[in-house]
Amino acid sequence: MKAMKATTFEISQFGRRLGTRLEGAAARCTLLAALDDLPPDGQLVLSLRGIDVLSGSFADEAIGKICQLLSSGIHGDRTLVVASPSADLVEDLSDKLAQRKLALLCRVGGTKGTWRVLGSLARPLVDTLELLNERGSATTKELAETLAILPNACHNRVRRLVRLRLVREEKIDVAAPNTQYRFHAIVE
Amino acid sequence: MRLTSETIEDVLDLVLVQAERSIDLRDVGSIDAYALLLLDLVVRHARESGAPLRVTWPESPSVRRWMTAMRFFVDVKTGLASRPAERNAAQGTRVESGGTASASERVAGSFVLGADVSAPSALGACDLVASTLAPIVSIDREDDVSRLVGSFDDRLSDRYPMDESPRRRFLRILLELFQNIPQHANATGDVLDPHGIAAMHDDEHSVVLAIADKGIGLARSLGLRSSPGLRPDSPGQAGLGQAGLQHAGLSDADALRAVVFDGRSRFRDPGRGHELERIFRLVRSWEGTVVVRSGSALLFQSETGGDVVDVAPFPGVQIALSIPRAVFGIGEAAFGEGGVEPRGDPGFNEGDEGDDV
Repeated sequence: MKAMKATTFEISQFGRRLGTRLEGAAARCTLLAALDDLPPDGQLVLSLRGIDVLSGSFADEAIGKICQLLSSGIHGDRTLVVASPSADLVEDLSDKLAQRKLALLCRVGGTKGTWRVLGSLARPLVDTLELLNERGSATTKELAETLAILPNACHNRVRRLVRLRLVREEKIDVAAPNTQYRFHAIVE
Repeated sequence: MRLTSETIEDVLDLVLVQAERSIDLRDVGSIDAYALLLLDLVVRHARESGAPLRVTWPESPSVRRWMTAMRFFVDVKTGLASRPAERNAAQGTRVESGGTASASERVAGSFVLGADVSAPSALGACDLVASTLAPIVSIDREDDVSRLVGSFDDRLSDRYPMDESPRRRFLRILLELFQNIPQHANATGDVLDPHGIAAMHDDEHSVVLAIADKGIGLARSLGLRSSPGLRPDSPGQAGLGQAGLQHAGLSDADALRAVVFDGRSRFRDPGRGHELERIFRLVRSWEGTVVVRSGSALLFQSETGGDVVDVAPFPGVQIALSIPRAVFGIGEAAFGEGGVEPRGDPGFNEGDEGDDV
């Protein structure tokens, strides 16, 4: 599977202090336009560089609602990740995503920073996601073996991660009785 | 006598339950920001109801000085005819100390009975404003919230070298609480003037943030979940079902609990609500205290526990957060009466006599 194209979007263009739902709704329009401009498998990297404060209300309007749209599938295979200089900046965003039962990958601490999950993701799903992110790509069978769980259970986990746009899937054997998939991390 | 979140209830009971038309505050030796905002709203509410109160202001010069510096007299005497934006202009809500404050004090003089802002004094108008942490501001429009929060941030940061992380958390609290007023206080559209106001002060132990309005309150707000015809433009108001109906007719105490403990909102959108719940959890984790009052219910929470109690019914929502100074990396300090450091006599004769307001 070819590498997806990542485009960075600096959210500081809306100001350093991102606070109200009104402002968040306006920002969402711009963000959706940027998302639509991506290729079908493109990735939007939402950079929080230069931001002083990101409130839960702004975050929910601008980012939470976009995550909801992404998980509904209307933006195809496009993905969204966040890059934040600090963990405390995304605290309220994480809470809002959890309220929506959504999750988002966030790199904390610059280009060499670590990836963490914002929002709500059950521990088994986090384990599966971390394993896939480590490997870059894997089949359900391979993941199930490493995690020591049944393939069906693993399949259910990965399907949930795909729906949340935290991993991507690729059909690898459509001729087989059951279509085979390979799953890919969306972050390096 | 100290006017605090507890003792201000005696004043409210006197006016709202016993229908007294005069308040004697002569013996008041200090007032906290929450009590000051409630006093403001009660006086305004009485005036709007056609039964203005006669108030005898505190005799203590330091208390009157502090009330003046907090722009209480300006706000409380500003008429209904003026728009909130004009009120903010008159109040000088660009609260940076300096020229703006001086100009606003001159504007204020036209509203304040007995004020003599030009009198020779040891402390000028600019100094008065600089001695408060954040004087009363009006919160009316959502598109003004970020600017107002910025002004509070500037005031706090100018006075204290705060730690960055708690400062950011505190700003998020301000952003959420401030925007609640334009979003919710008049959600029914039938409140003439919800009069959202906020102020902040510090004492030797804490930074106290107070936010208050006399809008529809929490019970009526939650009740909107069961009113499909109301505000169809509001997200989440369409397609109301059982979840909405269960909020109709909630008592003030139940509505308070539903919002603060369960994170309920009038919107069905799962991204809405939980802000107060999160804020209160955070303040309690800082070992601070929380007061939230709506209608005839008051919730008091501290690190040792809390309770919802019955109080005199009053419209809107009034909130006080008291956050230990140590949270911001600020040491404890000695303060005088009235809520601010004694800075000399400003030559201000506000409220020497009883005042019909």
